[in-house]
Amino acid sequence: MHLKYESFVREPLVDGDKTYRQVTEDIVSPIEKKPGRMWYIGFFFSICLLCFGVFSVFWEVYFGIGVWGINRTIGWGWDITNFVWWVGIGHAGTLISAILLLFRQGWRTGVNRAAEAMTIFAVMCAGQFPIFHMGRVWDGFFVLPYPNTRGPLWPNFNSALLWDVFAISTYFTVSLLFWYSGLIPDFATIRDRAKTKLRKRLYGLASFGWTGTAKNWQRHEALSLVLAGVSTPLVLSVHTIVSFDFATSVIPGWHTTIFPPYFVAGAIFSGFAMVQTLLILVRKILHLEEYVTLGHIEAMNKVIVLTGSIVGVAYLTELFMAWYSGVQYEQAAFQWRIMGPYWWSYWAMMTCNVVSPQFFWIKKLRRNVPFTFIMSIVVNIGMWFERFVIIVTSLYRDYIPGSWAYYSPTWPEVGFYLGTFGLFFTCFFLFAKYFPVIAIAEIKFVLKTSGENYKKKMEVIETKSTEEFVHEQMHAHH
Amino acid sequence: MSQKQYWKGLDELNNTDAHKEVVENEFRESLPFDVSDSLLGSTAPRRDFLKYLGFSTAAAILAASCEMPVRRAIPYAIKPEDIVPGVPNYYASTFTDGGDYCAVIIKTRDGRPIKLEGNPKSSITKGGTSARVQASVLNLYDKARLRQPQADGKEASFDAIDRQIKEALTANARPAYILTSSILSPSTKEVIAQFLAKYPGSKHVVADPVSYSGMLMANEASYGKRALPSYHFEKAETIVSLGADFLGTWLSPIEFAKQYSSGRRISAQNLKMSKHYQVESVHSLTGANADHRATCRPSESGAVAVALYNAVVNGTVPSFGSKKLNEVITKAAADLKKGNGLVVSGSNDVSVQTVVNAINDKIGANGTTINWGVASNYKQGIDADMVALVEAMNAGQVGTLIIHGLNPVYEYHDSKKFVDGLAKVPVTVSTADRMDETAQKVKFVIPDHHFLENWGDAEPKTGFFSLQQPGIAPLFKTRAFQDNLMTWAGATGTYADFWKQYWMGKLGSQANFDQTLQEGILEPAAETISGAAFSGNVSDAIAKVSANKVATGMEVVVYQKVAIGHGGAWSNNPWLLEMPDPITKATWDNYAAVSPLRAKELHAELNGQNEVDAKKHVIKVKAGGVEMELPIVVVPGMHNDVVAVALGFGRDAKVGRAAASDATKGGKNAYPFTSFNGQTVMYTAPATVEETGKLYDIAITQTHHSYEGRPVVHEFTAEEFAKNPNALIEERFEEIGKFTALPWSEGKKEEGHKEENAGEMAEKMDEGFRENGTMFPNYDNEPSHQGIHWGMSFDLNSCIGCGACVVGCQAENNISVVGKEHVAKAHEMHWIRIDRYFSGMPEDPDSIQTVFQPMTCQHCDNAPCENVCPVSATNHSSEGLNQMAYNRCIGTKYCANNCPYKVRHFNWMDWNGADCFDDNLYEDGRRDDMNDDLTRMVLNPDVTVRSRGVMEKCSFCVQRLQDGKLNAKKAGRPLIDGEVKTACQQACPTDAITFGNYYDKESAIYKLRQKDQKERLFYVLEQIHTLPNVSYLAKVRNTDEIVAGNEKLDGMMNEHI
Repeated sequence: MHLKYESFVREPLVDGDKTYRQVTEDIVSPIEKKPGRMWYIGFFFSICLLCFGVFSVFWEVYFGIGVWGINRTIGWGWDITNFVWWVGIGHAGTLISAILLLFRQGWRTGVNRAAEAMTIFAVMCAGQFPIFHMGRVWDGFFVLPYPNTRGPLWPNFNSALLWDVFAISTYFTVSLLFWYSGLIPDFATIRDRAKTKLRKRLYGLASFGWTGTAKNWQRHEALSLVLAGVSTPLVLSVHTIVSFDFATSVIPGWHTTIFPPYFVAGAIFSGFAMVQTLLILVRKILHLEEYVTLGHIEAMNKVIVLTGSIVGVAYLTELFMAWYSGVQYEQAAFQWRIMGPYWWSYWAMMTCNVVSPQFFWIKKLRRNVPFTFIMSIVVNIGMWFERFVIIVTSLYRDYIPGSWAYYSPTWPEVGFYLGTFGLFFTCFFLFAKYFPVIAIAEIKFVLKTSGENYKKKMEVIETKSTEEFVHEQMHAHH
Repeated sequence: MSQKQYWKGLDELNNTDAHKEVVENEFRESLPFDVSDSLLGSTAPRRDFLKYLGFSTAAAILAASCEMPVRRAIPYAIKPEDIVPGVPNYYASTFTDGGDYCAVIIKTRDGRPIKLEGNPKSSITKGGTSARVQASVLNLYDKARLRQPQADGKEASFDAIDRQIKEALTANARPAYILTSSILSPSTKEVIAQFLAKYPGSKHVVADPVSYSGMLMANEASYGKRALPSYHFEKAETIVSLGADFLGTWLSPIEFAKQYSSGRRISAQNLKMSKHYQVESVHSLTGANADHRATCRPSESGAVAVALYNAVVNGTVPSFGSKKLNEVITKAAADLKKGNGLVVSGSNDVSVQTVVNAINDKIGANGTTINWGVASNYKQGIDADMVALVEAMNAGQVGTLIIHGLNPVYEYHDSKKFVDGLAKVPVTVSTADRMDETAQKVKFVIPDHHFLENWGDAEPKTGFFSLQQPGIAPLFKTRAFQDNLMTWAGATGTYADFWKQYWMGKLGSQANFDQTLQEGILEPAAETISGAAFSGNVSDAIAKVSANKVATGMEVVVYQKVAIGHGGAWSNNPWLLEMPDPITKATWDNYAAVSPLRAKELHAELNGQNEVDAKKHVIKVKAGGVEMELPIVVVPGMHNDVVAVALGFGRDAKVGRAAASDATKGGKNAYPFTSFNGQTVMYTAPATVEETGKLYDIAITQTHHSYEGRPVVHEFTAEEFAKNPNALIEERFEEIGKFTALPWSEGKKEEGHKEENAGEMAEKMDEGFRENGTMFPNYDNEPSHQGIHWGMSFDLNSCIGCGACVVGCQAENNISVVGKEHVAKAHEMHWIRIDRYFSGMPEDPDSIQTVFQPMTCQHCDNAPCENVCPVSATNHSSEGLNQMAYNRCIGTKYCANNCPYKVRHFNWMDWNGADCFDDNLYEDGRRDDMNDDLTRMVLNPDVTVRSRGVMEKCSFCVQRLQDGKLNAKKAGRPLIDGEVKTACQQACPTDAITFGNYYDKESAIYKLRQKDQKERLFYVLEQIHTLPNVSYLAKVRNTDEIVAGNEKLDGMMNEHI
């Protein structure tokens, strides 16, 4: 008998009495059934938001960026704030799938599928903002380095904004591939269970003729590792490059070397918070509490308290550096962040990002689902404010007092943001309906070592003496 | 035809077989397509199919997507000799508006005037202009202009109107009156005289919308002539202005600004500088430039003049409640007594002006700074005459009233009485160019030409002539005012003929006439300054002034804005409406300007938090039975008991779309606050103010007032500067000196900058910092210094903040008008802005010091905007220009964010119809006429009209630079310094802008930076190593103390207002 033993100190990753069949049944049956009322309501609202977003963007593209509140002094407002926010959220997925895979964190299996989906949708949402913040979006392709008859004229490789184009598109492509390659065996499972022709055909197409042979699995595993290897640096690079948009500038509050690590930590922070928000809803609605356990939630809360503290240290470091630098513009920039007309955004950020995650030092709160849910939203509000603080409150009072200004968003800006929520949740609802929200194959992989019922079977072994156990093992195959 | 044969080679000459074959198979390759008959029938090869598919798809896409609008350009059937398409023509002419005068040069392109420049040949305006002069070309294309004469509100022919008027004039027993504003034109005066002679009993009444009759009458009493003298601010060492805004709106601001600035051009070699005292109630442009400024109540202004008189004559120390006021008067009196003083007063009170005349007499100004030998003709109106006319009208004693250049229904202090009187005059005529308030109430409207359509002349000062030639034929069925009079007087010929005869007669020969017309100016060789004997009754004047009670409550002051002035057609000029007021930086509206202390009491406190809010508290101002609701704009430096309201707003809808006012837009008419005191019109009145709880949006371009003590502006007192002219060099070196040499380079001393002299420091900063202030290699800076490197310098001492450059730039560079709503959103497009900073204690108006800093693209050689653009739409030229490629710009706005000077302007909306979307043109009801086909005739064809979604900014007028370079190249010589001027530089009335090729060692900009002004030179934010090509010269105030940045004195900085 092959034995994989896992210590009892580790809590089970799958609760309840599960067999492989039961796992398949639990995860695939929502796909095969008609969705519930909640799904329809949620989907309807998402579509409504999406339509409002499309209308807002149409309004802006048709009449001009002037329908937004950004201005001469504050050239980026909600648009880039939301961009950075969504990109940040898009970090958790790849972190979970790639880095945690490389670190062999078994608990990732329960959440990686949804987290990766979230990443992809979040990056899709994020991408809208740099596209539609352009004054002439129809000429947006100028940023691509394609051979042309204009000289040829190339983009400016010095510009951090151009690096963004590459960073985001690479990240999106790799994340999508990673996610999709993980889905293939699961699609095959659905195909094999399919009772309607259409479903069989569509999932058959989607599963690329997966047959589950050893060769299939071997290649699949190899691809996963390669993609994990490729995406690992991406997790760090994307937000590093996003931070370069600011760090390579001359604006006090932007021009700082702390930004790359600070942004990456913040991104992971907000990404995990978003995963929490989504999974707490999904496990409730799709009754997947046994797959997304309190253990999972707690593990992610630990990441949140860690990254939240890193972010907090970064905030304090910024303040220290402003003082220590002796540069009056830098000092004033932070003074205006904290005490200027935008003081509320700074303090909202500080409260949500630095103070509130500290509650997660308490184990009871880490394992408290409603509290975690509220905190996950608070964290993302805080992270939104962080980006707003960095972008708007650095620009609004910079070098020349004569050009200082103020900024408030207008309805098309807010509408655009809401629209990306629409896009995100529309995608997510479709994902929850048509895709296995938990990686079936990967759950099965850990089931027999980390499933609750299997762990219980180990109890027998625990009671045995060492000699007895060794003896049994020696003779098991004979 | 020649029989000669030409051959391409030996092959052809010998005509070998091989050659024949080659010729036959010239196109040896078959066409890429299979075009045989069997094409459709045959199984086309896959490649061909793809080719066809590709081509047809591409063709279909091209055909479907590229909708090319048909634009018709009609060429000349017979081309005029002097019009070459694409080449501008220049004509010397004269700008007049009432008595406002400026000698100009009209730039026409393809027959349309598109820009006005100052005429440097004029000894009066010396090439300077004002915002209004710059904007006047837009009035030519004003859509609200009348296109034909009107009778009883209906279109009518000139003949019909002429017949009726002639009949009335001959038949009517009651006399005819010609009511005009001040007329500078001698030939027009002649025409009027002829008319008056033809109709005995008829009279000519002169009135001015904003009256100077107090001065005229005082001068009559003091010197026996009802005239204004010529002032010479350039000769004055001490200038005392009692409420006269001589740099902004008083009498002849362009002339005075030129003179004034020449007396204040200080350098380390020439430390002489005039001293300017200002006592006023509001915060005027002139007050903002003063060295010593104190405020007084408007009702105290007479007492201030008396106190100054007593201080000058007896050395009496004044005893006003305000310590600063007493101090300023005492000091001013002491300085005036040193000689070369000049006192001017903005009061329209005869007694006050008499006292001022007495002071000028006592200090010997007559004959030194005041020239009585040459009279200024700018203002000739006498209020009492106008009042008498209105009385006569009401009494039914006026038969015909011809109104020219005035709009009394709007401007007269008792509008109702005028309207009533008008109804009793049988024949009323207005020559208004639009259906203004008066034109709507008269029987006949015969619109006058715009000055750019008309012949004419001006005699701004006696003996100083200026000819006016048109830049374009009249656009509409309009007729010159002079032609009206000549027609009605039965004269033959037109005014143009008369004018020509008049000048031919004066000039003698056609050659003289041509030359004078070309130069535009006919002036005596030199102005000899002579005095006049003062014979005024000072004691009587003092008694009268003292009899006036000083008010106790609030007082309202009616003032003119630098841009809009008295109103008139300016009220409908979008360029002027959008020009930020020099002091308040507000656009598109008038408002109640009150001091911070008063605003606080009215719950509209100014602080760092609320300044950004466009919503302003509305107060109700009551004075002399008139009530007006006006939003508060807080102006540091206003007297605490004064509320100031600008003229020129609150116009009727027919004045134009931009001017039209109602409760939600366009401001209020402040003329009803004026009153007649029995002698002259008064522009102040006791008032009460109360809160209304309402809010009203005011679009203000600059919402922060203090420069926070930052080294973006440098100020010194004259004394400090004289003591250590190198202070600024040392200060700069302290900041960047460390980076002027590499740490390991030879000669680098440890913390050694103290030992170096200023010359070395300046030199190091000039070159060393450029090289060594960065870790990157420097490719731009060729040590040879050959070719061209453009540079500009703003002299903060000369800049008075008048805004002429802002409008001049707008006219030259087709800068869009964005309208009030978008100005409020900080979406304005001006390529050059003037940052105005206040320092001092907000609650103490006398402590406020003001500095104006023109801010435009700095054309950084290490530009932060250039390296962040993802598509290289903004890049650097080899001549140091930071360029914009509009077609390449995709509008990420990254460059604007990364610009430390915030001088990049984005096309937020489709301001001008240049973008390809239908029906998305931005319209707000007020600025829309800018996009009318008529108004667009003002556009400069040399400058691209930018479409929506692209960034734009100052280009250093690259079209002018290019033109200048090409001219030099054609002439086969290097560019001469001063040959090209930027629009802002040309517009500037104070020569505050120096521009040229920095690599040319003979250029003014090189000399200024390297020699003459190196002590005052600084670059804004030079420590961030942007290497700007725009430099500044520090402001030197001839005062005791610099308030800005002083923690004890600068409350504006401490409170971050």
